[in-house]
Amino acid sequence: MENSLFSKPRDLFLDVVNPRDYVQIDSVSHMYQSLKNSVQKPLKMILLYGKPGTGKSMLLHKLHHDLSKQQKVLMFDIPIVDEDDFLRVLAQRIFGHSPREIMTLIRFLEIAEAVAYPEVPIVLLDEAQLYSASLMEKIRLISDARAIKFVITLHKTDKEDIIAKEHFQTRIWESIELQNATAEELKVYVQKKLLKANCFDVANMFNDKNMKLITSLTKGNYRDTNKLLFSLFTLYYWYEENNPAAIKYNALKSKWIEMAAIHTGLIHA
Amino acid sequence: MLDVRSLERRWIKYKIKAYFPYIAGVFLIIIMLISLPIIWLDAEKVSEIKKAPSLSIHTANQTSTLADSNKEESTVLEPSMEFVKTFETAVPEPAIPSTPPAVSKSIPQSVPVTKVLSVPDSSTIKPPPKAPTPSTIVTPSDKQVILNHNNESKIDIESVERRFKETSNPNLGLFIARYYYDHGNYADAYNFALKTNGINNKIDESWIIFSKSLMKLGKVEQAKKTLQLYIGESNSDSARALLDSIERGTFK
Repeated sequence: MENSLFSKPRDLFLDVVNPRDYVQIDSVSHMYQSLKNSVQKPLKMILLYGKPGTGKSMLLHKLHHDLSKQQKVLMFDIPIVDEDDFLRVLAQRIFGHSPREIMTLIRFLEIAEAVAYPEVPIVLLDEAQLYSASLMEKIRLISDARAIKFVITLHKTDKEDIIAKEHFQTRIWESIELQNATAEELKVYVQKKLLKANCFDVANMFNDKNMKLITSLTKGNYRDTNKLLFSLFTLYYWYEENNPAAIKYNALKSKWIEMAAIHTGLIHA
Repeated sequence: MLDVRSLERRWIKYKIKAYFPYIAGVFLIIIMLISLPIIWLDAEKVSEIKKAPSLSIHTANQTSTLADSNKEESTVLEPSMEFVKTFETAVPEPAIPSTPPAVSKSIPQSVPVTKVLSVPDSSTIKPPPKAPTPSTIVTPSDKQVILNHNNESKIDIESVERRFKETSNPNLGLFIARYYYDHGNYADAYNFALKTNGINNKIDESWIIFSKSLMKLGKVEQAKKTLQLYIGESNSDSARALLDSIERGTFK
């Protein structure tokens, strides 16, 4: 359907991590600034942790986007679980070496020492809980040797707490915890995102009651909110095509929000 | 693409599920509100039925003895002037003390007297096994009655009443009052106790039966007032005990 009011907002809430979609919210901005300050310090390892969907990956991508203009930064958003492959990729993309022989930790440290950048390169590891304990031990040794500065993200679960305890507890110099948004923060997030894309009419449809319902359904989780709003605008798009008289443009329909929540699995019906 | 129709159906199911506890709660409250008065009324009916036997026996006696009519309303206490008249015409003036105490004067004013009920046909009824009170003066004829009573022989209550009318012996009156009280005929018990008190107002048991009959006939305040007046006159322990039991609600 051409000139649909809801197709653009729908696409805005697709669950993809793009630093350009980063929305500045007070609390998140504060976290991001802390993260940036920590990266500037001579620290060897920085831990970013929180529940899934709290914006860890987005912050990591934003950091990568901002720092890559100034220094050598490498982002691993999909973990490389094989140790040899991991070290080989690091050696190639950070230090420009692609040795034919098997890449051992000692060989990697030799290459790092030989290159010696004026500023320690930064490697950003997303979903670090997927790395094996043995690889994490090697990462720790590389950071101890000050060859690379690591910023890693972890899901906050009991299991991952154990990983953090075993490998990072004594070596983490900075740890930042991300939390779910409040209703107010979520409203700012949604409206800023819509206004940034010039979806003014749709942004005006969100009232406090709608936001309370959305927050109660998603518990302030950004990923769940994105999924819910994507389904919601898909529904609006459908009604716009099939039953436009049912749409009220002054507020979102609670019924349709709940239907979207049923569709995304936030409500078990 | 979303299957909107299916989503709408699922949403309706979800809303029904979500509101079910509230709907069920409201429904339960409504049922309780409706059923509570019914249960309460039933409980009242049951209590009335429980109370009814004493009255029904009483009225049954009356109906069986009343020759012509079924005057059920006779259970209501009214001044038994007819009874007094018939009694007075039949018997000579009893030896009432020259200065009757204040109690005997005040009682008839405050306590309504029951309508005269004809004496039940008691040819087949046995008098209750009851020992005479030690306070009463026993005459030879009384001794005979009590002896008969103790021997559980048949007593023609009618003949006792006839003798009472003839002699105005307060012990006979007390006997008849006690007999009727024991048989649940509280209106007649009241009448004979009243008459006995009129003849001799110092018989404890007669006043006790008089007050107990009033209680059984539902005249609680009058019973209390009578006892208070009598206690004031006689300082009777048994009357005081009865008054206490009435006030505590333990009177049966």
